[in-house]
Amino acid sequence: MEKPVATVRSAAGISTGMLSIWWLLASEIVIFGGLLGAYIMHRIGHPEWAEYASHTNTWFGTLNTVILLSSSLSAVLAHHAAEQGDGKKAAKLLYMTVGGAVGFLVVKSIEWTIEIQHGYTITANSFWSFYYVAAGIHGGHVIVGALFMLWVAGLAKKNKELQRVEMVGVYWHFVDLVWIFLFPLLYIAK
Amino acid sequence: MSEQATSHAGHGTDGHDSDGHDHAHGPEHYVKIWLLLLALLALSVAGPFLEIQVITLLTAFGIAVVKASLVVKYFMHLDVQPKYVMYFLATSLAFMVLFFFGIAPDVLHHEGQNWVNMAAEEEIVRAFTARRDAIDTAVRTGVDEHGHEVDEDHERELIAERDDITERLVEMGVAGAGEVSFDAATTFATTCGPCHGEGGAGDGAAAAALDPHPANFTDPAFWNDPEVTRDHEHIVTTIRDGGAAVGRSPLMAAFGAQFDEEQLEAMALFVEGLNPNAE
Repeated sequence: MEKPVATVRSAAGISTGMLSIWWLLASEIVIFGGLLGAYIMHRIGHPEWAEYASHTNTWFGTLNTVILLSSSLSAVLAHHAAEQGDGKKAAKLLYMTVGGAVGFLVVKSIEWTIEIQHGYTITANSFWSFYYVAAGIHGGHVIVGALFMLWVAGLAKKNKELQRVEMVGVYWHFVDLVWIFLFPLLYIAK
Repeated sequence: MSEQATSHAGHGTDGHDSDGHDHAHGPEHYVKIWLLLLALLALSVAGPFLEIQVITLLTAFGIAVVKASLVVKYFMHLDVQPKYVMYFLATSLAFMVLFFFGIAPDVLHHEGQNWVNMAAEEEIVRAFTARRDAIDTAVRTGVDEHGHEVDEDHERELIAERDDITERLVEMGVAGAGEVSFDAATTFATTCGPCHGEGGAGDGAAAAALDPHPANFTDPAFWNDPEVTRDHEHIVTTIRDGGAAVGRSPLMAAFGAQFDEEQLEAMALFVEGLNPNAE
């Protein structure tokens, strides 16, 4: 079977596939950085946001942080298993990571349902607009990451394309990273 | 194919080709990092309970930076990637910082030398006014905007928040924001009326039972008493500290705790206005 060019070519010291993941993350930094930067400016510039922010639920946020940190652990363990050539174990750990992604989304949807029922909708005011847009774009990344992990895990189970386990893992750690900053912004600094 | 399973195999930094490296990147090590991350999370959640703003900010963002660097170093293995990966990620980050500081002065301030961000100012005033009205309603009805009962502690918090909002609105120069709806005539009728009578003629419901009788402010003789000079200061002192404080009947209680200075002044002027000889 022919290997994809992104796997075998290594003009820059790392495989082209891995390089493209890092480039992807470089552009993600600007996307999330711009969003979070804009949020910080408005949060400081608008004293009335303090009251709005006091209504976010710290415990939902904390639970989701625990879930994401744990899913990052299983992702890095999957990478380790792939390094050892154990595709089955890597696949199992990736499925656990996907479980974390699903858990995260379930908690998020319960949290949002409660908030929307209280009248805190995306159009309530600019704070809630930021809240739903930032957490929503992040949630979109969680969904995309989970889908890619399912695909990579399906291949890894058959000991195929094990190098992709690290690639999808690095992407997943970035999703975790964004949440590490979203969490204090939306839930802690009230 | 497992030989290709790692992207940094070519650098000799593979997890299982040296004992030292294996130790630093083995599963146990990852679990340790994960536990450390959870401990840091617990700290950042605990921070706000101290209710000290500096500590909250430190535990929130200081810890976020520490957690992020742990994830980047130990989970993403950025440190074993070629140097240029770090460089272009840093460039991205630098653009973000540039964006932030390029825009922040215009967003953080709502007023410059030759410009005013009226929309932002109006939004703050609108939001604060709405919040103050909501607090007023909650305090008056005893039920907050979510239908929850307002207990004493919560009421105290709400009132403190309302005072804070009022202060901010006054700072912003919002007309009438600091005015408290205080009506001396109404207050006189309800607070002083039971003894002095609603019209101040010393004929309140309790008046007959009191000895000496409560003062009749509509009687010129009260104001022309040769024994006491009933000037403005005397009236203010009597209302604030009670009759005993000016050598008069101790049955006249002290009301200083009920009124702030402005309200005390308004009450005294109202009483003086009852003097039929007043100009």
